[in-house]
Amino acid sequence: MIRFEQATKYARTKGIKKPIIEDASLTLNRGKSVGLLGRNGAGKSTLLRLIAGAIKLDGGRIIRRGKISWPLGFAGSFQSSMTGEQNVRFVARIYGVNTEQLIAYVEDFAELGPFFKAPVGTYSSGMKARLAFGLSMGVNFDYYLVDEITAVGDTNFKKKCQAVFETRLQDSDVVMVSHSTGTIRDYCDCGVVLEKGKMTYYENVEDAIRAHDKNMKES
Amino acid sequence: MEYVATHLRVVAALLVREMSTRFGSKPGGYVWALLDPAAHILLMTSIFQAIAHTPALGTSFALFFATGYIAFQFYQAMNGYLNAAVKANKALLSYPNVAPIDTIVARFVLQMGTTSLVAFIVLGTIVATMRVDTDLHWPSILEAIALACLFGLGVALINCVLFLKYPLYEQVFGIVNRPLFLISGVFFLPDSIPAPYRELVLINPLVHIIMGFRKGFYPEYRAIGLDMDYLYGIAFLTLFAGMLVFTLSRKTLRNE
Repeated sequence: MIRFEQATKYARTKGIKKPIIEDASLTLNRGKSVGLLGRNGAGKSTLLRLIAGAIKLDGGRIIRRGKISWPLGFAGSFQSSMTGEQNVRFVARIYGVNTEQLIAYVEDFAELGPFFKAPVGTYSSGMKARLAFGLSMGVNFDYYLVDEITAVGDTNFKKKCQAVFETRLQDSDVVMVSHSTGTIRDYCDCGVVLEKGKMTYYENVEDAIRAHDKNMKES
Repeated sequence: MEYVATHLRVVAALLVREMSTRFGSKPGGYVWALLDPAAHILLMTSIFQAIAHTPALGTSFALFFATGYIAFQFYQAMNGYLNAAVKANKALLSYPNVAPIDTIVARFVLQMGTTSLVAFIVLGTIVATMRVDTDLHWPSILEAIALACLFGLGVALINCVLFLKYPLYEQVFGIVNRPLFLISGVFFLPDSIPAPYRELVLINPLVHIIMGFRKGFYPEYRAIGLDMDYLYGIAFLTLFAGMLVFTLSRKTLRNE
């Protein structure tokens, strides 16, 4: 369960203060995967980082029950001077999982070949995404926070991701940000639309997509 | 307990990460972290030995210079390495269980170990090859090292935050910090400076650190002007200010 209680967060840059969420209260229950919809710059990625706990709220609180992943995105949480393998080792250590097992799993999954032992800085964005996806799938979480990542990679890799992801989703949930409503429809049961600092929860993902489309048409 | 265990795990992981990437791309790896400063000091020592034959203290110029330089390095290397601790690990801070302070703790432990080993290698070599027996007074040595490290840590905690907030300050700090090497008493003894200037030189806490450190190697050294109360006061005040600024600036450090 993830519960927002009067949560408030502002984005600040150079004197501009923009609300991401204002006084928002919302409960996301276990067993349901959530699609997070909103226009460009609405703060969807920031919201994922808030859920992960990587950044803090300005007011209110978020109550989390269960193990929550870090936000999986393109930009990645990789240190570019470290090799893929070193990055995997690092994650295994900080999450306290078996290092060798995780390395074997990710090496097999990400199909990076010799590049697995090269600095992440030399990777293409597709390679980074493969590493990021494989890495997070190798660690067991109750919630996976996914930021657009399923959109990268070739068809074969997408299929592979989908297969693994689907087995994972049998006992884990996902909070997903995507601009592709098709992806949201595939993975999510319910939806949250983020618009002008307000989060609106929809029990049915179709309703959320409809509300989002309506928002997009209005402006 | 869970909380402490997570932090310990993260610090351990960061330690390995720092060790493997700092010199990871070169053959020899971490050994360079020791060899580099050790070679640097030995080289500088032999150059200065050629220029000035009689040291201000004792008979060995090498020992005089190396004690000053190493005491200085306990502050300088620590500070320089820690100033960039948060910035250098920025990407890793996107993992929610990696906290900015973990990067500081990992680098502190690593740098403390590294400089200590360098000190052992360099001073050990010099003392072993000297003809005169040296009486080491360990409490003075360890006290000076601890204060140098804590002072370096305090300054770095403040810098980590201010460098991110005010890029201009980073330039200013660089300009002020660079000549410290010349005025901290690595080459000279503050005791020998005439009155009005001596008071000025003694404002610099590093001068006291170096004097304290040297006292541990030269039992006959009287260290006139050494004020341990002043040194403790400055070091702990800086450390406290650093901890305060660092704690209050969590958002800046997480790069929101």
